[in-house]
Amino acid sequence: MPMKGRFPIRRTLEYLHKGDIVFKNRVKIMTVNYNTHGELSEGARKFVFFNIPQIQYKNQWVQVMMFKNMTPSPFLKFYLDDGEQVLVDVEGKDHKHISDHVRKILGKTEEVLQAEAQAKMQESNPANFGPRKYCLRECICEVDGQVPCPGTTALPKEMTGKYRTKMAAAQE
Amino acid sequence: MFQVIGGRSVQAARVLAPRSAVLVEAVRGRKSRTDPVARSKVGRIKVPPPVDPVEMVVLKERYGEYQMIMRALRLEFKEEMLRKRYEEDTGSLAEERARQEAQEHRVLMDLNHLENQRMLKLRIVRVQKEKEEADRKKFEVILQREQEQQEIEDAKNFITLENLDQRIEEALDNPKNYNFAIDKQGKVVKQTMLQ
Repeated sequence: MPMKGRFPIRRTLEYLHKGDIVFKNRVKIMTVNYNTHGELSEGARKFVFFNIPQIQYKNQWVQVMMFKNMTPSPFLKFYLDDGEQVLVDVEGKDHKHISDHVRKILGKTEEVLQAEAQAKMQESNPANFGPRKYCLRECICEVDGQVPCPGTTALPKEMTGKYRTKMAAAQE
Repeated sequence: MFQVIGGRSVQAARVLAPRSAVLVEAVRGRKSRTDPVARSKVGRIKVPPPVDPVEMVVLKERYGEYQMIMRALRLEFKEEMLRKRYEEDTGSLAEERARQEAQEHRVLMDLNHLENQRMLKLRIVRVQKEKEEADRKKFEVILQREQEQQEIEDAKNFITLENLDQRIEEALDNPKNYNFAIDKQGKVVKQTMLQ
């Protein structure tokens, strides 16, 4: 069976890409304390179930830890790199509200994200040829409709250097 | 397979009678130390291509100039990159931006703090309500218990088939008079005489 788990859509790349919380560079650790039973923890449970995969996908270098049934009320705690700790109380809140709130206080805004995307696009010019790591193509022979790589198929006689020099020498 | 050598090993190799100006030594290719030289190569003395001194001088000069220019350009570009990086990290604009960000961060933290306070208030109210609920439930349980006790007490005074005769006797012996008047406080005021 290809589908695993209760909501296998959470495992699709499309779903993960849709996540819109990108943390600021200062946030290093995120901790979620919630309870497995109880009406008040329902929002936190849904948040952990649906939104945490998206968050972790978009912030691969942030450590995300979940703690169950340690405190009577659920909360989120963020540890920034200058030692500051940000506490977010989520008792009784809906998972949509929780994610919106987190995005507002610690997420990068739309404009910042767009500026970053622009900068990244400017750095990588698709017209450049070079190593695969930095450019799309390495040689013009990879493009459809261009002369194929002489390393794989021999060039026609008329295009080789030695033939041309021979012809030029024969002419004089 | 053959590498141009220079330095210490040059002196040693010069003794071994090469007739050429440039010294070449063999780097191990496919064959090991103990393998004999191939039959077609026995007695071969390799001579590198002859060098035209005039051409050499001209080429050296031109290559020197070219390499100098290229090196200069590379260093120039590298320096530009470094300067840009430095400006971005520790320039005046960067400070401005950092200050702006700190400001915004403070604002957002205050917002979060307010939100937490609001949740705290709601939680206090909720906990209070729950406590009251619990108290009320306990009280109700006690009431229920008392009522049950009361019922048990009453059950003792019920008239059953065994008690029937005895209770009839008692009722006939003690006639009760229901003709009385009460005032507003509930005290009996008047009462007729029993006949």
